[in-house]
Amino acid sequence: MYSEELSGDIAAPRPVPMARTITATAATFIVPGLGHALLGKVARGAIIGGVIIVMFALGFAMEGHLYKPDPNEWLTWFFSFLNAGMGLPYLVCVLADWGVQITPGQAAKVTFEYGNTFLCVAGALNMLAAMDAYDIGIGRKS
Amino acid sequence: MTHFTALVLFSLLVSVAFATLSSEHHTTQEKVKYGAKVFGYFVGVGFLIAWALYRLPI
Repeated sequence: MYSEELSGDIAAPRPVPMARTITATAATFIVPGLGHALLGKVARGAIIGGVIIVMFALGFAMEGHLYKPDPNEWLTWFFSFLNAGMGLPYLVCVLADWGVQITPGQAAKVTFEYGNTFLCVAGALNMLAAMDAYDIGIGRKS
Repeated sequence: MTHFTALVLFSLLVSVAFATLSSEHHTTQEKVKYGAKVFGYFVGVGFLIAWALYRLPI
């Protein structure tokens, strides 16, 4: 890869100012994909943001629910961490109590656990997207 | 929604995300190839695990 960069086949990534990098990383936690768009990677941001938003919406459509940390159940801390990777959408849902409570009918649905998985993975992918935006910002990735 | 539809949807979305975020695949062609490979692995391993669980007397 480095020989290709030196020969000019692949342009070496150029870092952007640190303030813009941090803004882009934080923006990913407000709207998935926004950070990439702020760094000029609009198509990449649209794809990754679209995938994450669709996964989050499908999680709710499948009757999944968001986790809140419960001191008596340590596993909820792990799932809450994954859910919290969505950033602002997770915070809004938890504060407004949308999709947090579970009804017995909801838990009995076949797709209930799939929904939970979709919601957790959407948060995990958003964290990866934020790290990707940071790496682009500091010039580690192009 | 069936279990299979959920598996395919999950595999599709995650493989697109992985291909987009990959730092080792630079061109669109490389990314599409990598995404297709990841998708195939997800569905294939899903089938294998389902088959193994179906055989288990539980």
